[in-house]
Amino acid sequence: MAESPAQTAFAEEALTHLDTLYRGALRLTRDPDSAQDLVQEAYLRALRYQHSYQAGTNMKAWLFAIMRNLFWDRFKGSRKEDVSLDDVGEFILFDKLRDEGARPEADVLDKLAASEVVAAVEKLPPLHREVVLLVDVEGFSYKDAAQTLGVPIGTVMSRLHRARQQLQKSLYDYAVESGIVRGNGTREVPQQ
Amino acid sequence: MNCSDCQEKLDSYLDRELSNTEMLELQLHLEGCPPCADNYEFQASVKRLVKVCCEQDRAPEAFREKLRQILC
Repeated sequence: MAESPAQTAFAEEALTHLDTLYRGALRLTRDPDSAQDLVQEAYLRALRYQHSYQAGTNMKAWLFAIMRNLFWDRFKGSRKEDVSLDDVGEFILFDKLRDEGARPEADVLDKLAASEVVAAVEKLPPLHREVVLLVDVEGFSYKDAAQTLGVPIGTVMSRLHRARQQLQKSLYDYAVESGIVRGNGTREVPQQ
Repeated sequence: MNCSDCQEKLDSYLDRELSNTEMLELQLHLEGCPPCADNYEFQASVKRLVKVCCEQDRAPEAFREKLRQILC
């Protein structure tokens, strides 16, 4: 509970970023109850360490950093856990679809279920997933993402590149499994 | 700029992270290279799709109110 009008104002401002934090927590924990626990703990910690927030800087990034640090500390136990990413090589979904005659390529995207896109994001290892969340979903700059994650900008770029390739590979696999495209070099299955 | 350079910088172009000069160079290449332009449009569509699908989740109202009670 806030003890002063200043703390109340701080909490009110922090709560304007709740959806971003909740979405991030949900994608990281993949469980609504765990996401709520994580977000609540992050807000309590943010209030406790309010003095370390510099007014005028990016509060959303500051809050997200607190939340993801808690995630790694409490939910994963170790920062080294689950960091590997399948090596898919240079997988470019656009080229793959073009090679297989699925044109226009973007039509395939229209046929993907939203739940499968979310599932593809959640399949990424957390270190790669959080970069996609920050840059692609929440629109963070590379610089803000790097500060939030405590890594160099180059690491953000390389993780993002690999994550996007893995993500597109997952979407392609789903498209093949669900018959949206055929994986044998033939044409797209017409929409029914 | 050739297609290989374009491919290499496409992520940064997509994320608006290049300098003004580099943005312009890449834009000029895309204007004159339909395959790269098509690829760029596709990558932009994937990025939009991920954003739209993941943004559908909102914090439950009861949870928002609970936090307000705890924090404010």
